[in-house]
Amino acid sequence: MRRFSTAELGRYLLTGQLNRRGCLHTRPPRVLAIAAISQITPSRTFTSQVETSTTSTSTSIPPNSIPLRKQLKDEAKALKASGKKKKKKADNQTVPGWELTVGIEIHAQLNTARKLFSPAATSFNDKPNSHVALFDVAMPGSQPLFQPETLIPAVRAALALECEIQPVSRFDRKHYFHWDQPSGYQITQYYHPFARDGRIVLGARDGIAPEDGDRVEIGIKQVQMEQDTAKTTAQPGDVHWLDFNRVGLPLVEIITLPQIHHPATAAALVRKVQMLLAAVDACVLGMEAGGLRADVNVSVRRTADGDTAPLGTRTEIKNLSSFKAVEDAIIAERDRQIAVLEAGGVVEGETRGWSLGSTETRRLRGKEGEVDYRYMPDPDLGPVVIGEDLVGHLASSLGVLPDAEIDELVGTCGLSPKDALSLMTLDDGARVEYFYNVLDALEDRLGLASDAESDHRDALLAANWCLHELGKLTELSSDLGMTPDGECGVPSADLAAILSHLHRREITAKVAKDLLWGVFRREITAGGVTQTIDAGNLWFKELSEQEYEELADEVVAGEDKVLAEFLRFKQGKAKAFPQGKLMFLVGKMMRAGTEQRMDPASAERVLRARLENVYLPEAEAR
Amino acid sequence: MLAQGRPRGLRLRYGCSSTGQQRRLLNHFISKAPEPEPTQPPPPPPSPTPTRFTLAVKDNIATTSHPTTCASAFLTTHRSPFEATIVTQLRARGARLVGKTNLDEFGMGSHSVHSAAGAVSQSQNEPISSGGSSGGSAVAVAAGEADLALGTDTGGSVRLPAAYCGVVGFKPSYGMLSRFGVVPYANSLDTVGLLARGVGMIRGLVVGGATKKGLWGEGDPRDPTSLSEGARGRCVAGREGYGGVIDGGEREGREVLRGVRFGIPLEYNIEELDPGIRNAWAKAANTLQHEFGARVVPVSLPSTRHALAAYYVIAPAEASSNLAKYDGVRYGTRDSDAASDAAGGVLYAASRGKGFGDEVKRRILLGSYTLSSEAMDNYFIKAQRVRRLVRKDFNRVFALDNPLHERETFDLTDLDESIEMEDKWGPEEVDFLLCPTAPTLAPKLADVMKQTPLDAYMNDVFTVPASLAGLPAISIPMPVASEAAGDVAGKSGAAGLQLIGQYWDDARLLAVADAVMNTLQSVTPR
Repeated sequence: MRRFSTAELGRYLLTGQLNRRGCLHTRPPRVLAIAAISQITPSRTFTSQVETSTTSTSTSIPPNSIPLRKQLKDEAKALKASGKKKKKKADNQTVPGWELTVGIEIHAQLNTARKLFSPAATSFNDKPNSHVALFDVAMPGSQPLFQPETLIPAVRAALALECEIQPVSRFDRKHYFHWDQPSGYQITQYYHPFARDGRIVLGARDGIAPEDGDRVEIGIKQVQMEQDTAKTTAQPGDVHWLDFNRVGLPLVEIITLPQIHHPATAAALVRKVQMLLAAVDACVLGMEAGGLRADVNVSVRRTADGDTAPLGTRTEIKNLSSFKAVEDAIIAERDRQIAVLEAGGVVEGETRGWSLGSTETRRLRGKEGEVDYRYMPDPDLGPVVIGEDLVGHLASSLGVLPDAEIDELVGTCGLSPKDALSLMTLDDGARVEYFYNVLDALEDRLGLASDAESDHRDALLAANWCLHELGKLTELSSDLGMTPDGECGVPSADLAAILSHLHRREITAKVAKDLLWGVFRREITAGGVTQTIDAGNLWFKELSEQEYEELADEVVAGEDKVLAEFLRFKQGKAKAFPQGKLMFLVGKMMRAGTEQRMDPASAERVLRARLENVYLPEAEAR
Repeated sequence: MLAQGRPRGLRLRYGCSSTGQQRRLLNHFISKAPEPEPTQPPPPPPSPTPTRFTLAVKDNIATTSHPTTCASAFLTTHRSPFEATIVTQLRARGARLVGKTNLDEFGMGSHSVHSAAGAVSQSQNEPISSGGSSGGSAVAVAAGEADLALGTDTGGSVRLPAAYCGVVGFKPSYGMLSRFGVVPYANSLDTVGLLARGVGMIRGLVVGGATKKGLWGEGDPRDPTSLSEGARGRCVAGREGYGGVIDGGEREGREVLRGVRFGIPLEYNIEELDPGIRNAWAKAANTLQHEFGARVVPVSLPSTRHALAAYYVIAPAEASSNLAKYDGVRYGTRDSDAASDAAGGVLYAASRGKGFGDEVKRRILLGSYTLSSEAMDNYFIKAQRVRRLVRKDFNRVFALDNPLHERETFDLTDLDESIEMEDKWGPEEVDFLLCPTAPTLAPKLADVMKQTPLDAYMNDVFTVPASLAGLPAISIPMPVASEAAGDVAGKSGAAGLQLIGQYWDDARLLAVADAVMNTLQSVTPR
């Protein structure tokens, strides 16, 4: 199931252009109805055809991120330095006698072609300062120009969070001085955000704390649009380089109610927000790539005081850039606050920081140092009026949300919830698109109607290969090069070809795996799977029934002891069928015969029949 | 073009200029390098070749040919990479730029004295205030060095200097002329204004004629507050005079003025009003009524007394925000002694302390305070309410509706008792308001220096209401009897008479102002 990209939707909604080969209305929100949809031209291609000069280059280049090895090393170092042994996180969700309360603010970069208030292109790793409009650097006399297409991913994000879209919202200036903020203020939506009163439902499979039970619902207070700041790169010798490509990129800030009470649930919420935003194509980069940042507000109170007692003084921990950091920082801050209170102290309302791998939060600034942001309505910008028709259209074209999709994957493909979730989250949501592409092509080859009532053995096969076999390819080094519309170094058509032969038992699993490697290493050209099987004579030419029987006879000969075991079972002297012994004999058969021409299942079937029909009666007779 | 005249930046006050004694005394230009006359006429535009005229541009409007300093030490070397829309529009109509004029830093001031380039004087004999903040532009026009000058009017910055210097200063409806390229002081109030020696030139440019398109019809997609073409069409629907000025076929002034209803706002007759100006104002009203067939009626604008206070809350608040970008990182000189932005945070404070002049600092502090979380509700929010009341006052007295707002109903109880009711619905409605531009004549610079900042703010009392409501207003020279003007040595008694019209009634306002100016000059020869 493909989702429509924001670029394509934007063009349709704002300029009335749409790729006519598909239609936003025709697709019923069903997971497995793939054949009808897959004919739509990939939207990214469409985009590049239309506006070559201005499209975002965001999708083609993998973003920079901290190498995992360095991250792990730093963590280990910090842990060693602290001299503490880490408590297992799963055992650290609650502290007896205390209740933790957490609210989260999540900033996510929106998936748009242009900046929020200038027509400069969005980019992530382009040459520094190559996409900068006059307004982005606050050139005197320049003015903001709101780009309406930024509303599309923003509204989709808010709809995915079940928010009420406000018909009128406004932009405000938030003032503070920093070199990464050229105008001395950030334009945000403080007084009148564009979306309010949403919610997010987290289930056990999302990884919430066991203490929260099966399901927990967290309210979303509001969602607002705002500008990103410039990127600072520190250079040796107290020099900072600024890249204004990032300044003015559109962000959404999602503010939850303080309804989270366990650290793992907080991390699960952030993870789920990322999944939801990716699912509706509202944001481009995940948290690890810097596309998502979270601030958490933490407070504690004694459970003895009851539910009606006011919340404790809260502190804010800013700029957490991984799910793990969210959970670890909350645990550390909770423990710090409890320690302060138990020692008879008072928690100060302050802003704190967290560095990767540390065990304690650190003070950034206290209340007396708090900035008064002097929020003021931006006098250059009019109100944003969002029509009901736009909201209605975006809601109806939102597609299936991840929870429903996981339910479908579990229900109809027979995947485990864990595998379904993995499939959904891998490659920023592109892996599942790849799965649908493969399944589509596979069902085409097998001549199955996608909506036919079948056992969906083929779907399970495709899912397992897309998850596990494909995963093995990249265990060592290289990248699959997965694109957002679900294509990668292993073309979906070729994987489908391999799987169709495997499904029909025309090749063995071992041959199938070898073929997959061949395609991945480009030893097999695209579309050349069947040819390769022909050329290498890899077809599975199974032994005849008679040949299997001969092999069976060969391996059973001299195994009287083993035969005795089967006899004991047959005569009711043993409770369990000696399956292990049977498989031992199957293994012997496989080694004795030509493995390429044998199917273990067939070997087992023939052997079993031989035992029951020939050897056991013989032995009994003896 | 640039090679010919070395941009003189802000060194003018040290006398290193080569352009002569007189100009140095007036100090009305910050950079003056006239563009050469084109040897060949520019490629023929679709319309016939425009008439050429000289143009002086206030130095807070971006041009690529000259630096754009805003009379601030922060921007002494700032060369804008782009040109303001209004400059481009005027070039297309035949303008030749002669220089960038002096002003109060970022447009903040009423006498053009708060300038990093030094104070402006309108007289060579004695330093006399040229008004502000577009003082340099007014002096350039008065001295004949430019046919037209661009100013910016936030609370009267075009009308006040026009009144002091005896020229015409026009502030259009908010949203009519593009602000793209105008360095903002208070965005919700800022307008581009035009100064000239007569109304005709301004009228020709704004309204257009048979052959040239008027500026009123050109929206600018780069300025989000510039009205779209569609909105312009709706605004003009209920208005007269946008058909263009018919050259040579002008109606007789008497004919234009007959039956026009002028309102005299009673609240403008303040104690501080110079008696000479009060007399001239009354005399002008009398002449219009008795000799030219106009109707003059008293009207009440009860919110006027709060308007000035509201202006000095809103404008500095927006200014404090707009000027946050000048922090020494991209503009101005960074104070290298100061440490980093980290704990203690003095990097920006030191640079800003050195870069801004006193008046700008005063307004930034004022604005920062009124926007702070503890003062916001009591100042900024209240001032916005007053602004609404001011607009409502105007909508009540004007016969025309404001196309930007729904028709409102008005409570008559807060009207001044002396206002006569026309019928049970209320007093007579008017076409224009007629009032002085400033309460006093141009003061000597020496006296200005002795004033407290609050005294200077008082000068804006008659100009600020139209700015708050976004209405078109024009100041035309009004002769003042010589005995009243006697204390201003060496200057004929010129004051300004201000006409204020309903929103987007600019075309009729200019036509009537033209007729009124002719009337005043014919009746009261200097």
